Amino acid sequence: MDTSRSYLEPSSFSKKMAAAIIIVYAVITLIPISWMVMTSFKNVDSAISYPPEVLFEPSLEGYVNLFTNRSRQSQEYLDSLPAPENWYEELVRSREMVITGPSKFLGRYSNSMIIGFGSTFASVFLGALAAYAFSRFRVPLKDDLLFFILSTRMFPPIAVAVPIFIMYRKLGLGDTHLGMIILYTVVNLSLAVWLLKGFMDEIPKEYEEAAMIDGYSRLQAFFKVVLPQAMTGIAATAIFCMIFSWNEYAFAVLLTQFNAQTAPPFIPTIIGEGGLDWPAIGAGTTLFLLPVMIFTIILRKHLLRGITFGAVRK
Amino acid sequence: MAKVELKKLFKTYNKKIKALEDINLTIEDGQFFVLLGPSGAGKTTTLRCIAGLEKIDSGDVLFNDENITHDQPASRDVSFVFQQYSLYPHYTVYENLAFPLRSPMRKLPEEEIKNKVEKIAEMLKITSKLKNKATELSGGEMQRVAIGRALVREPNIYLMDEPLSSLDAKLRETLRVELKNIQLNLNATILYVTHDQAEATTLADKIGVLKEGKIVQIGTPEEIYENPNSIYVSQRLGSPKINILPGSLFKLNNTAKIGLRPENIELGNGPYEGKVISTENLGSETVVAINFQDNEILASIQGSYKSSINEKINFDINTNKVLKFDKGDQRIYER
Repeated sequence: MDTSRSYLEPSSFSKKMAAAIIIVYAVITLIPISWMVMTSFKNVDSAISYPPEVLFEPSLEGYVNLFTNRSRQSQEYLDSLPAPENWYEELVRSREMVITGPSKFLGRYSNSMIIGFGSTFASVFLGALAAYAFSRFRVPLKDDLLFFILSTRMFPPIAVAVPIFIMYRKLGLGDTHLGMIILYTVVNLSLAVWLLKGFMDEIPKEYEEAAMIDGYSRLQAFFKVVLPQAMTGIAATAIFCMIFSWNEYAFAVLLTQFNAQTAPPFIPTIIGEGGLDWPAIGAGTTLFLLPVMIFTIILRKHLLRGITFGAVRK
Repeated sequence: MAKVELKKLFKTYNKKIKALEDINLTIEDGQFFVLLGPSGAGKTTTLRCIAGLEKIDSGDVLFNDENITHDQPASRDVSFVFQQYSLYPHYTVYENLAFPLRSPMRKLPEEEIKNKVEKIAEMLKITSKLKNKATELSGGEMQRVAIGRALVREPNIYLMDEPLSSLDAKLRETLRVELKNIQLNLNATILYVTHDQAEATTLADKIGVLKEGKIVQIGTPEEIYENPNSIYVSQRLGSPKINILPGSLFKLNNTAKIGLRPENIELGNGPYEGKVISTENLGSETVVAINFQDNEILASIQGSYKSSINEKINFDINTNKVLKFDKGDQRIYER
């Protein structure tokens, strides 16, 4: 028998099996995403060719189409124009079109950024304060309040779409950044409070007490001592909140049209000539994927790091 | 440093559990005061009330005759060493030591902080660890840093809650000696909580014995040892433990129970005869357990002592040193 390893450690065979399962799973989930990324680099014809092309000549046409508005012109008119100034103009001209201006994509994308990060910050900040209070203070009806907070997640948020729509119209919050930030914060807050309360409970109260004796107020102790130790929980909570508000579609369709419209309702409206412009949609979706991916990768080291291991002996 | 007074302190937890009852106590400036008692006696609660971490039901806390009962912990200017290390794990040792000096209450210039931190680090022999993360220390080092964080400033009083209890025996002894030296050098006022009698006797100028939230006796270590006012207090100090025996055993009238320290029993000859139950050689002394009329009596004698089990043994007691107690376990004083 192999005695070189402990009984608690999995054998190398089961480790390999686990790795194999994870790889298979990753490949399956990555197929649609890689197909989407591939589509974004195809031209309009190869995107819809049958049989589908796995090997193709990459083109940036999708990205150019995503960021521009174009109009079709006659060959004579195109010939009368001066030579194209840059590569993307040339690309558009080769399709017998001219660029008439930038598309709305960049504006929608930055709306998504503002609303996504804004509501994530608000959810985590308010959630952390509430979670700390629930964790440390004797709040009257604590358990009932916590249950009430959780119960706001027991129905799909869209179930209250109509009252929210009417409320927002009366309050003038419809199609505003602030309105969307508030809405996503409200939806995310219950999750943030519950997740963070668990992490706050894990942080021994001796830390704040020590800080308070060392000359800090409770609020200062919270920022100086508690928050840094709750980083793991904050990172996890922020990722969940960010994913929700970044991807949210239904409310965005309902409540935003011009000023505060986010990317999810915008991307499907990218219509090309004679059918959907699949490369442009692929390009939009690929770019849409990036921020959440980068955000998660940045916060990943906090997710993996142990919390306060070893500094307090229980 | 300050004189600290507690006046008629009452504290209950959850409106039911009595934690402190009528605590009256004065810690003089520069005094090393030890609170002694088993767990649950209210030692830690007393510390936390002085620090302001617990709200008291009634009573007053005075620093230099100034009533600070309702002040926030931060403004009381006390320092506290917790039983657990409670170093800030996201800071280095240096930052941990500097933390109280950087607080909004003090805000010392960085240069002065550096001087103070380095001085204290040298005193506690942790200079080489200043750049380490607090989590990268051994248990003994962590506790040194925790003590250092308290000593880095000069507060009204140092409050220490069993600071050495989580350390191994050898380190505990070393730090105990160091702590006493530091206290003498700084002329510091310290309130120290422990259930370890060796710590209490070696460190204390004065000992307060707590029982179920009440102070039952206050005195110097000698007074507590030689002149306890009840059986409970007599059992707090002394190793091997004091013998508590029925008064009738040695024909003492009007005495329900007597307390007899093991060193006040002479073995070899005397009017009393018992049987040896066991002997335990501790090196410098030997503890002999004797069965005397179905009571077990511990006697300790200098050096080693040879005897076999069930051997008959004669002994005498030092009647001047016998402590007499009444039916309520309280001391009977003789005029």
